[in-house]
Amino acid sequence: MKKEIAKFKINGRIHEVIITPNVTLSELLRDQPDLTGTKHACEVGQCGSCTVLVDGKPTLSCSTLAISVRDKEVLTVEGLSRGTQLHPLQQAFIDHGAIQCGFCTPGMILMAKALLDENPNPTRQEVKEGLGGNLCRCTGYVKIIDAVTAAAEAMRKGGK
Amino acid sequence: MSETLSVVGKRLPRWGAYEKVTGAAKYLADIKLPGMLVGKILFSPHAHAKILRIDKSKAEKLPGVEAVITWEDVPKNLYNPNKLDLILVHPELEFKDMYVLSEKARFVGDRIAAVAAVDAATAQEALELIKVKYEVLSAVFDPIEAMKPGAPKIHDYAENNVSVHFGFPVAWGDVEKGFQEADVVVEETFLSARNHICQLEPCTCIASFAADGRLTVWSPSQHPFLHRRKLAEIFGMPEGMIKWITPHVGGAFGKYGSLSLEPVCAALAKKAGRPVKLEFTREEDLFATEPRQKYITTGKIGVKKDGTITALQEKMIVDGGAYYTHNFSTTAVNMGGFTGLYRCANVAAEATCVYSNVPPTGGVRGYGNHEGTCVLEQLVDVAARKIGMDPLEMRLKNAKKAGDPSSTGIPMETCTFEEMIKLGAEKIGWKEKRGQEKGSGTKRYGIGVGIAMDVSGAQPFNIQHRNAFIKFNEDGSANLMVNAPDLGQNVIGALIQIAAESLGLRYEDIHVVSGDTDSTLYDIGQHASGGCYQIGNAVINAAEEAKRQLLERAAKKFEVSPNDLNVEGGRIFAKADPKKEISVGAVVKEAMYNFKGEHLNISGKGSFSPNLNPPPFSVVFTEVEVDTETGEVKVLKILYLADPGKAINPSTVEGQLEGAIGQSLGYVLTENYTINKETGALESNNFDTYKLPMTLDMPETEVILYEKPVPSGPFGAKGIAQGAMVAVTPSIANAIYDAVGVLITDMPATPEKILEGVKKRGERKR
Repeated sequence: MKKEIAKFKINGRIHEVIITPNVTLSELLRDQPDLTGTKHACEVGQCGSCTVLVDGKPTLSCSTLAISVRDKEVLTVEGLSRGTQLHPLQQAFIDHGAIQCGFCTPGMILMAKALLDENPNPTRQEVKEGLGGNLCRCTGYVKIIDAVTAAAEAMRKGGK
Repeated sequence: MSETLSVVGKRLPRWGAYEKVTGAAKYLADIKLPGMLVGKILFSPHAHAKILRIDKSKAEKLPGVEAVITWEDVPKNLYNPNKLDLILVHPELEFKDMYVLSEKARFVGDRIAAVAAVDAATAQEALELIKVKYEVLSAVFDPIEAMKPGAPKIHDYAENNVSVHFGFPVAWGDVEKGFQEADVVVEETFLSARNHICQLEPCTCIASFAADGRLTVWSPSQHPFLHRRKLAEIFGMPEGMIKWITPHVGGAFGKYGSLSLEPVCAALAKKAGRPVKLEFTREEDLFATEPRQKYITTGKIGVKKDGTITALQEKMIVDGGAYYTHNFSTTAVNMGGFTGLYRCANVAAEATCVYSNVPPTGGVRGYGNHEGTCVLEQLVDVAARKIGMDPLEMRLKNAKKAGDPSSTGIPMETCTFEEMIKLGAEKIGWKEKRGQEKGSGTKRYGIGVGIAMDVSGAQPFNIQHRNAFIKFNEDGSANLMVNAPDLGQNVIGALIQIAAESLGLRYEDIHVVSGDTDSTLYDIGQHASGGCYQIGNAVINAAEEAKRQLLERAAKKFEVSPNDLNVEGGRIFAKADPKKEISVGAVVKEAMYNFKGEHLNISGKGSFSPNLNPPPFSVVFTEVEVDTETGEVKVLKILYLADPGKAINPSTVEGQLEGAIGQSLGYVLTENYTINKETGALESNNFDTYKLPMTLDMPETEVILYEKPVPSGPFGAKGIAQGAMVAVTPSIANAIYDAVGVLITDMPATPEKILEGVKKRGERKR
């Protein structure tokens, strides 16, 4: 298959990578920039573990061709924190015990970010709806919903 | 032990939390080694077939292919992927019937061949070039059919496909007499679900041989030392020539109690002479890793009019699938749950384990106790209805008390069933809700209860041998070395809290080394909720030794007795004169760096082998609404009361219980592991067809930790994680029974089955 060098803007940095047209965004992220925080759990767009933000919109990176996001801003979990300064969602996930095995956590946090960017003051039901496509096998979602609700409040108070 | 606790009992960040929220945590699939190849397995497309020929020559010639292996290339050593034969009191009951690669296909998904290549595309292409000539045999997918004369024979040794028939090893009383004494006898047959773990991280493994022949395996094992020994036996290697590393694990719930990819991965790495990574897709994980056994259980209960249970009998046919794996052990635990939950003078249980041409089964959260207790708890509700008694009253009548034997037969230090049942009933409003009208429309309300006990390890049935090592650093921090793979349950966090509390240090002062067989002491591994209770006790023993050395050094300096000193928050001080104080770091440093020749790295080793096995207790209430037109069940609320002894970290204990609520919800309602009746192929092969509960499926939940510390536990703690589903599942089933009178005898309770039950009841009433 034809290989080409393409530029991607990931977490605010330009990456030049070699790609073929069939490479998915998640494969690209995990392979060359080594951003392995984006997880593969089903690879067919059914679990949300590979969620990243493309121009701020939640995107299933396992079901998105890398080529299609060439000129767009990609945000992965690695781009959320600034140095050791965690994003309020990351901090809330730690504080509220919202993590167990942690495999769904990156996708869950990015989906929650997209939700809060659009609706800074969601009800519990709105949080449930917003995360409705992200699977977690460990937590029963209770503490994840707690964490997102708490992060929303922290962000409204200017934690961001 | 200090009365006031400064680290234990606190809601502290779980171990590894920072790495997990930033994406820095490395799971198996994230690890890359120089020169690493991609492995892939060729699975049998037939449920039962003899392999006549395999031609791998074309695959071997494909550029980029470094190894192609079939059954002819792997050691001819039979094994059982379940580790328990190494530690079970009856090792002869864990049969070995599996090779690294099969010489005969016994289910759709049996491992036939494997390749290692420079990339995934080349590996896939190579698989397609392997030509296998099969002689397709007739197959059997049902255990009853499998036992009939003339059924296809799956393993040569097993007549009528029966691997083992056994009775409950610790039966007591006389059940026939017990049933005669009863006023009412209820007998029902229940089918459990072949439910799958579906941990989010698909099963993955890396293996690499060093130039000196030493093998390193990276794999999310729950039992690194036992699995290392298994691998050593398969390959005829000395144990010390294998190093086993367990990185972050993306969920386990019993899955990694079995060897899975490691033997194939190691065989590929050996042939290729390069590191190999084998990574399952979700579909492969679903058909080629072990779901639960399918139990066909006929349960019988005898009760007197006053609610006293006079006899309990359980007869099971266990469909374990194509290989033996955990058949004996899960079934024995199932019997323990069924016979051991209540006071009852006469119990008996027996089981026949059967092979069929479906995916082999394994150990999944609850490990048999989940299925055995579910049958019992449903029978209790049917019997209560027959004698016109409140099922909660019947449970109170028969509940065990402190001093009674638990389901393992070992006397219990505490028992909180009675208190928790009463507290829960008040909280949920049991009396009012149970008595209220079910509604006459299509939406019927129901409320149900389930209770359970589980274990803190596998004493007395398995060897339970734990070790921990603690060494101090110059700054007063300490390293804790344990082999306690953290599967997400935060056992390492709990062990850090236990170590810090015991040493008088802060949580952040403890740095853990875990999951590496070269740099930790021997440990039997994570199973049966034994990590916190058993390793926690080993950590306390290690801490006591390290603290003794520390205080002896400090006592010399102050010219007092070590008994006159105390440690808190990293400072050592004289109890009588707190002004006499020194930092832990200063003492440690002086012991390392002095010209007196009195050198010591302050450290301690601790071991633990339990005599007791205190069970955690669960009491769960569920409220549902059942739609009699669609058969759909909406779970409205679940109230979970649990007694974990002392909750070392309440947040992570709650997390285990909340997670189990989700898993039970899936078990009862949505997760349908479907095997095609013609071909034996798995139909529910991804999340669109094997439906795990999502956020919107979750009911309102409330968790109450009813802590009653046990004297034998580290700071009073018991196990909690494994048994967390056991009471939830029957409480949901019993709530449905209360709502529409349909006894759930075939899990999962899909809308079709409920609708059929509602229809049948209507016909009977007419």
